[in-house]
Amino acid sequence: MIKYRNIIFIISFGLLLFSCKKDEPTPIPYQPTPYNIEIPFGFPTNLNIPADNPMTVEGIELGRYLFYDGRMSGRTHPDSLMSCATCHIQANSFECGIDHPEYIGGFTHGITGKPTPHVMLPMINLVWNSSGYLWNGFIYSENPNAQFRNIEDLVWMGIVAEHEMNSDTNRAKEVIQNIPGYPELFKKAFGSETVTVKNMGRAIAQFIRTIISANSKFDKYLRGEVQLSQSELHGFVLFTTEEGADCFHCHGGYGNPLFTTHLYYNNGKDSLFTGPYEDPRDRYHVTGDPMDYGAYKATTLRNIELTGPYMHDGRFATLDDVIDFYSHHLLWSPYINPLMHHINNGGVQLTPNEKTDLKAFIQTLRDNEFLTNSDFGPPDKFPDGK
Amino acid sequence: MIMVNSCKKEEPDDEQENQKIILSFAFLVDGQDLQTDTMIYINEASNHYLINEIQYFISDVTLHNSNGSSYLIDEWKDIHYIDTDIPTTWTWEVFDNISAGNYNSISFTFGINEEKNQTLMFVNPPESFMFWPIYLGGGYHHMKLNGKWLDENQQISPFDFHLGIGQIYYSYPDSITGFIQNYFNVELPNSAFSLDKNQTREIQIIMNIENWFKSPNTYNHDDWGGDIMQNQEAMHLACENGHDVFTAEFIY
Repeated sequence: MIKYRNIIFIISFGLLLFSCKKDEPTPIPYQPTPYNIEIPFGFPTNLNIPADNPMTVEGIELGRYLFYDGRMSGRTHPDSLMSCATCHIQANSFECGIDHPEYIGGFTHGITGKPTPHVMLPMINLVWNSSGYLWNGFIYSENPNAQFRNIEDLVWMGIVAEHEMNSDTNRAKEVIQNIPGYPELFKKAFGSETVTVKNMGRAIAQFIRTIISANSKFDKYLRGEVQLSQSELHGFVLFTTEEGADCFHCHGGYGNPLFTTHLYYNNGKDSLFTGPYEDPRDRYHVTGDPMDYGAYKATTLRNIELTGPYMHDGRFATLDDVIDFYSHHLLWSPYINPLMHHINNGGVQLTPNEKTDLKAFIQTLRDNEFLTNSDFGPPDKFPDGK
Repeated sequence: MIMVNSCKKEEPDDEQENQKIILSFAFLVDGQDLQTDTMIYINEASNHYLINEIQYFISDVTLHNSNGSSYLIDEWKDIHYIDTDIPTTWTWEVFDNISAGNYNSISFTFGINEEKNQTLMFVNPPESFMFWPIYLGGGYHHMKLNGKWLDENQQISPFDFHLGIGQIYYSYPDSITGFIQNYFNVELPNSAFSLDKNQTREIQIIMNIENWFKSPNTYNHDDWGGDIMQNQEAMHLACENGHDVFTAEFIY
């Protein structure tokens, strides 16, 4: 009995002692707030959110800071900062845009000037992409190498790639670790103040998954809120008919409002793909299937007027160039996708008026509200107040 | 006493029967397993051709019992998508418990019937990628069969043998006055089977691809070209040919 009394006394004394330690900082609670994505009208309900990186308000907030913070490149000198947002610019639907002052013509390069192998891909509505990332889908969920499976992995790849940040993951996490405010944000988001590259990737991926564009004029038309012009309506018909421009099989439409299948097609840009013409970054080099020579991801057409240059190598500067290509300049090869059934006519042979109407429809996919939505824009200040 | 009775309710019912069927899907050309992307096939019209991919829906799968009754399987999830590129679609483990007994035949709808074929019924891929444009009738493709053939100029040309809602044009291609659904009923030949108590049977539904181009109509790609979504005459011939495209095999 005496033994138990002693134990109770010790516990009580201990509690008293701890409650008197007024100088110790209050621990940061780890209670992340679940974040639910609101599914826009007609969009898929299945989301590509990895089980080990659920969406949280705190994770998204941290991801937004990191996305815009040039110090994530592991550098602190103002001349050598580079962040995701250096190239992924909201006003251009998170591509650099053809009028970028540094990336002339929309052709990006790394911090040392090394060109990126392909031009940028749209970085919107990616939470609905389950068919691989990058132009050839090299980043995919079943990749035998677990380092190359989802958006999270594109973050460390961007840090180390010579044609992007050309940095070092240890330097990147050290720099972030030593910026006041970030450790607390990591604690809130992931339960530890220790900055890891893995958690940097998880946070940025969470932010990227919130970047949703679904309120274009065409969306409003589908919801019955606005009417399209005669030219836009005719362009819509052309877009979704085989005898018109026949865009919909790869680029969606009313029944597939992503405006992409996220799949890979040889769309007739070239006739030679092997030997000296081989691109080590086409779809063939992921699948090993010869039918995938010269095949690349079909991009979403949402906000497409802002995301030139077009095609994997940026060979077309304008939408007019692209429409002309699909109308008259397709090139046959044994690897041409069967959906390109106008190939032996050189294309879909649109008239000048039809081209105008098709372009007018495609421009209804521009989402102005998205392009200025402050939720996706740069924070006013970074966690250290800078 | 009360406790004893309440426990009894949770005991398994020894008398409950548990018969299952699994539908699996296969693709043959001239009796051999489909080899995609190889120009090794010759159709009834002597077109040399290859198949790249096939995607299609079946629905309303019905078992016809020898006692005269019929049973629509998985009534609330009765549209199934099959894709040559997605192995998980090659098997349909039917949810329903099927009554033991003798069945005379199996039938199904090729595609989706008019009542069910509604736009935005599927919002998730891959089914959503089968949407059929609103302007052309809406809903979903019954089938996409994509390939290439050696055309009359000895040029390899793509064909998209797509079936869905056809259009009646007043003035082609801008004035549509009506639609034709183009789904059809398939009675699987030689599909009688028996299902014993507590038995699971796998029934393989085979698409014999060459028959799409064979009978009763000889389908010549040189005549119909690479696309037929806006050509009801071609889709009508294809649908007539479709009635004997499918056969059944029973796998024990």
